[in-house]
Amino acid sequence: MKEEFRLAWRNLWRNRRRTVITAASVFFAVFFTVITRSLQLGSYDHMINNIIQSFTGHLQVQHIKYHDDPLIDNSFAYNDSLISAISAIEKVVSVTPHIESFTLASNGPQTKGVAVIGIDPAREKHFSDPEAKLVRYRITGEAVEGMRTGELPEKVLEKVEKNIGRSYSSAARIELELGLTDEEKNHCLSQILKYSEFKNGYLSPDDKGILLADKLAGFLRAGIGDSIILMGQGYHGVSATGIFPVRGIIKLPSPGLDSRLVIMTIPAAQQLFDADGKITSLVINLKDRSGRTITKARNKINALLPDTNTSARTWYELNEVLYQQMRGDSQSGKLMLLILYFIIFFGIFGTVLMMISERRREFGVLVAIGMRKGKLKRIVIIEMVMLGIIGLITGLLAGTPLITYFNHNPVIIKGDLGKMMEDWGYDAMMPTAPVGSYFYWQVVIVILMILLAAIYPLRKIGKLKETEALKS
Amino acid sequence: MKVLELKNVNKIYNSSEIKVHAVNNVTLDFEEAEFAAIVGPSGSGKTTLLNLIGGLDMPSSGEIIVGGTILSELKPSQLIDFRLHNIGFVFQSFNLIPVLTARENVELIMVLQKWPENKRNLRTIELLNAVGLGDRLNSRPARLSGGEQQRVAVARALASKPKFVLADEPTANLDSKSAATLLEIMVNLNREENVTFIFSTHDPRVVKMARRIIILEDGKIVSDEKQCQ
Repeated sequence: MKEEFRLAWRNLWRNRRRTVITAASVFFAVFFTVITRSLQLGSYDHMINNIIQSFTGHLQVQHIKYHDDPLIDNSFAYNDSLISAISAIEKVVSVTPHIESFTLASNGPQTKGVAVIGIDPAREKHFSDPEAKLVRYRITGEAVEGMRTGELPEKVLEKVEKNIGRSYSSAARIELELGLTDEEKNHCLSQILKYSEFKNGYLSPDDKGILLADKLAGFLRAGIGDSIILMGQGYHGVSATGIFPVRGIIKLPSPGLDSRLVIMTIPAAQQLFDADGKITSLVINLKDRSGRTITKARNKINALLPDTNTSARTWYELNEVLYQQMRGDSQSGKLMLLILYFIIFFGIFGTVLMMISERRREFGVLVAIGMRKGKLKRIVIIEMVMLGIIGLITGLLAGTPLITYFNHNPVIIKGDLGKMMEDWGYDAMMPTAPVGSYFYWQVVIVILMILLAAIYPLRKIGKLKETEALKS
Repeated sequence: MKVLELKNVNKIYNSSEIKVHAVNNVTLDFEEAEFAAIVGPSGSGKTTLLNLIGGLDMPSSGEIIVGGTILSELKPSQLIDFRLHNIGFVFQSFNLIPVLTARENVELIMVLQKWPENKRNLRTIELLNAVGLGDRLNSRPARLSGGEQQRVAVARALASKPKFVLADEPTANLDSKSAATLLEIMVNLNREENVTFIFSTHDPRVVKMARRIIILEDGKIVSDEKQCQ
């Protein structure tokens, strides 16, 4: 076997330039595939996590009519014992009651249709955690003026000015979006935070106030302490009207939600919609998002539900359109990569054809002097696998640091493209997916491609006639 | 002792329209340590006969027996193993493996035969010294002259101590000086190693050195004579 590897390795480098070009084609195919796939999967993951963590959860218990007809009339009664029973199911992380409906929100001349969610402020910390999303920093014109009185370099001020009007829920986020260098971070971040600090508040368990999403607050021109009028339809057609003081402003990662969400406590929402003791959903978060975990949990939850008019729905049933869009996008991405690999395959196959035609006589000599065809086939296979593996390993090694870096430091899409993505309801951010199964698939695909390309030389060796090969 | 016997061997090529009788009812035998030349004009069937003797091709009829084994009765894989252990080949255009050094080319046969490394090393050095290339062990074929490459090929053919060596026009691509050196080496090895050498040739220098001359015309043996050196 050692001899076979030695011969294969030497053969590989007999035409150095051709080997380098072929290995480079595999390298680029693998490199671009892992980067593209990682960005694609990372974006999906980010989007799904945004939706799951901010709104739908992994599963939701709902009235069976609620999904098609999301009215407060299709709510159901719940109690703490049901929450306790569901919480005891394996891999359930949190169970959070929500009461959701739609109203008009008005402040002075500004009015907008909004989604209202009634939450349990304490339980919600284990799910969407709105407290962590409270706006803590906001770059305003006044804040920038304040910063000018300090000693901020012009370059940093320019970066800050470009972000006037934006709100941030953490120092890390402000640092990320401003794109500060390490030096700028060390010298300037504390001043930026000082001048952009935003005083905010959260809901107490029986609070009568509301939290407004940041973009919605901007639209309504409402700040902390202002009162918002909500008008809508309550349970069984009663009028739902109320005036609610703004306790806090939250920044939601999904721009779609950020421009239309109002949060209040469950008792306040039940009172607004005249739906005593009722909720519209129980949002359940699980330890992971695998299909197996979700299905298992759903079956167990359904078995626990006392009301036959309620059932558990998965996040992908709740976001069917988005889910199908992502699947379609993923499939078209795979198709593009398949085409790329198809092209690369012909590059490898071309090399194989040349190799066979150049070495036919040598194969004849080897078989004539006593090398079995099986051994010769093994040498050729090893040679081709080595060629593929050089491209594969270098491609994966070159892709890994980039993927790891952009997984921890997502690409923030700025400018018109970023705004356009936000308008479409997407977070203008592209993190990469960490190294995972898609990485191992490249190994399988390249090896399969090599083995497929090897069929031809193996058949040729199998059919080789020594006398004819020696004449060539 | 007979190392090789050919009994009524025929080789007929059937192309679409013409039937070519390349080897016509040849009966021959070779003793141990013979130094024989098969001579004949181009197209007389020398190479075909050598291919049949070497088990690279199968006769249309007749038997070729090497050390008691009838070649046509062997399966293809058995035939390859048989060649490995019993027959050495020297080709007209050297046919060394270009990615292996002189040493590795000679060693390859012994690697295939699974000889232990120390025994392999001794035999390789012994043979390459015998062909006068003891100082070129690590040179690849591209860095050797034609004569040197053919000497490596002779060392390779003898590596596994075969029953006989088949050399198809071994001097055809060599200048006269290299050809003379090669012939001298082969004569010496024939004596020292006690191995039968069978050449196909129309080189008069080879014919002059041969102790037996077989003349072939249109696939038939027209003369088979031994000559004193």
